[in-house]
Order: sequence, then C-alpha cells, then structure tokens
Amino acid sequence: MDEKTAFRHELISAWCGPAFLISFIIFWVILGQNFPNPSPALTADALQARYAENLGSIRLGFIISMIIVVFYLPWTALLSTQMARIEGRFPVMAYLQLLGGGLTVMVVSFSAFFWVAAAFRPDQDPATTQMLTDLGWLCIDLQYACTTLQMIAAALVGLADKREVPLFPRWACYVTIWCGLSFLPASLTGVLKTGPFAWDGILSYYIPYACWLGWYTIASTYMIKEVNRRIKASEGAAVTSPSLSRA
Amino acid sequence: MSVSTIEKERAPAVEEGILIFIFADMCMFALFFITYLMERNADPTVYIASQAKLNQTLGAINTLILLLSSWFVVLAVKALKRNAQQACAVFLASAFCCGAVFIVNKAMEYSAKIQDGVTILSNDFFMFYYIITGIHLAHVVGGMVILLVLFINTRRGKYSANNIAAVESGGVYWHMVDLLWIFIFPLIYFLGA
Repeated sequence: MDEKTAFRHELISAWCGPAFLISFIIFWVILGQNFPNPSPALTADALQARYAENLGSIRLGFIISMIIVVFYLPWTALLSTQMARIEGRFPVMAYLQLLGGGLTVMVVSFSAFFWVAAAFRPDQDPATTQMLTDLGWLCIDLQYACTTLQMIAAALVGLADKREVPLFPRWACYVTIWCGLSFLPASLTGVLKTGPFAWDGILSYYIPYACWLGWYTIASTYMIKEVNRRIKASEGAAVTSPSLSRA
Repeated sequence: MSVSTIEKERAPAVEEGILIFIFADMCMFALFFITYLMERNADPTVYIASQAKLNQTLGAINTLILLLSSWFVVLAVKALKRNAQQACAVFLASAFCCGAVFIVNKAMEYSAKIQDGVTILSNDFFMFYYIITGIHLAHVVGGMVILLVLFINTRRGKYSANNIAAVESGGVYWHMVDLLWIFIFPLIYFLGA
C-alpha cells in the first residue's frame, strides 16, 4: 500500500474519535434518555412507565448506539499504531491498549443491547424490564477495568515518549491515569441503590463518564495532530527529495 | 528554622504532571466532601447519631500517625539534599512503617464496626464513612508502594542532591494523602457531634 493511502486510513481512523464522541452523545446520552439516567431506586412499574413514555427514542438511541460504538475501534487501532511507533519492536503496551479498547466497545455495546431487550416487549412483566435494565447498568458500570487499563497503557507510553514532539504532552498522560482511576467508585453501583455512588449518582455516573469522554477528547485531539504532522513531514520530504519518495 | 531560611528554599522539583494529578485527586475528594455535606444537611439527625458510634480515639491516633509520617518524608527529602542517602532511606522506611500502622489501625476500626453489624448499607452516613475512608485507604496503599520504591532506589544510590525529583514527587503525593485525612477526620468523626 502506498504511503498516501496509509495516511488516509490513519486520518479516517483519527476522525473516528470525534465521530464516536458526537454520535455517542446524541444516541446513547440524549436519545437513550441517559441524561439523567434512570435511578436504580425506581420501582419496576415506574421504570416500565419510563420505557413506555420514551419507547421510540430509547429503541432508536440504543440500537444506533450499538452501531456507532464501533467508531471506537479504528480510533483504538490508530492509537495502538502510534504507541507502537514509540515502543519499537515489542509494543506490549500498544497491544494492551488495543485489547482494552476492543473490550470497552463490547462492554458499552452489551449495555445498550440489554436496554434494547428491555424495551423489546413493552407490555411484559415489569420485573423483567427492571432486571434487564439492571443488567445493562451493572454491565457497563462494573466492567470499567478494561478501559482503565487501556488508558493507563496509553499514558505510560506517552510518558516514555522521548521524541522532540511527543504524541501526548506529559500533563495529558497524568490526567489520563487519573481519569482511568476515577472510574473506581463505579464499582459501588453493584451494591448501592441511592446516593452519589448509585449508578445515577454524581460520583459513579456523571464524573466517571465525563472523565472517560474527556480523556477521549484530549487523546483524539493529539492523535489527529500527530497524523497531520506526519502527513506534513512526508509532504515536506517529498518536495525536497522527490526521487526518494518515488522509490 | 528562621523564616528567612524557609524563604530561601526553592519550590519542590516536582514535575507539573504530578501536580496536575494531585490537583485532580484533591478536586475529587472536594466533591466527596461537598456531596457528603449536602446529604448530611438534608438529614442531620441520622448523621449525628451514627457519627457518635465511631471510635474517635482510633481516628485521632491515625491522624497523629499520618502527621508523623509526613514529618519523616520531610526529613527524608532534607537528608537527600545533604546527600545523606543512608539517613534518607531510614526516614522513608519510617514513613512506610507509619503507613502500615495506619492500615492496621483502620482494619481494627472496620472489623469492630462490621462485628457491630454496621456495614456500607446500614445508612447514608456509614456509606460515606466506608467509601471516603476506603478510597483514602487505597491512596495510603498507593503511597506506600511509592515510598517502598523510593526506599529501594535510595538504598541502591539512585538518588542524590542533584537527582531529587522522584523523591520530592513521591513526598508531595504522601503529603496529599496526609492532608486529605486532615480533612476527613474532622468531617467524618467530629463535625457537629
């Protein structure tokens, strides 16, 4: 494959970052009625009524969420490639990041899948709706550790990046580690039904999700910059030595 | 030490990333404290009654232990500035031991509570009690890992007066762990009791 095509693939993958971010907010957050999200303290009947009131919006939101979540994959692949360039021949952290990103997609995807199932038969026993909703939230809120590892892997490589213009600035790497650790209170969603650590609470929902998407925004910005920098450098090299680029 | 000598000392040679991490961490705890206080204001009687069940003595002992450990960290950094690696290692080990005592103390406190049938689900006060002190405890464990690494590296002669950033960064982190407890202790154990 020629360099130009490779760069095009990299650029598309980089812009999958903003594409994921925007579409996730539209479909998962807004149409999926996740702002605010349903409280775990809701009774089964109240929860059933919540689905009935927003049936079309919830179905559309989560069905499309399962498609757009895959924008995360090319982005993860690009990040792995950029990390591997820093790591050299044996890019352990790049592989780890790849695994973490891939599994993150499955966790997010399965939560939306449970909520589509909950909305599938609106006239079913409310207890079933409640259980499927529980499964979705516990699925996404308790299984954050893959994402934490993905972020820590990226941060460690970023900190070890000794190039003149590094992929990520050092502050971004520390913010990344902290954001990854901010998910930890979400483990309490497995026990609590009310308060700030329940799955609709500020410390188990709003802050960890904001940290995840915040990190994703920062990382996307620097990844797009890096791709553009490499394209520019290659164009510059092509101008100065046209014979080399043809070879 | 006179005021003028304090002023002459330069700011710790900590890299900005560490400071950002610490700032973010303290913001997170500030949020914990604010939510705790807001929930508490909504239902103060439950909080005050539950608070009375806590063991203030164990809490106070832990406060002193952490203050002592912070002092050891200060002495370790000062020793390294004199290139006294041996002394630096001893002070780091002392701070580490303080952390270990803190954990044992906390384990005794938790197990006494659990034996009394008080758990994270008992009421909102105990939810905050277990979570805030638990997350702080995780910070203590993390800080002890850092102190251990610094101790081992100091023993190997990796640090000196000219290569002090790692010890100062770890020290600043440990001071934060101490500082957080200084807020947690009055808020959880004493406020309005």
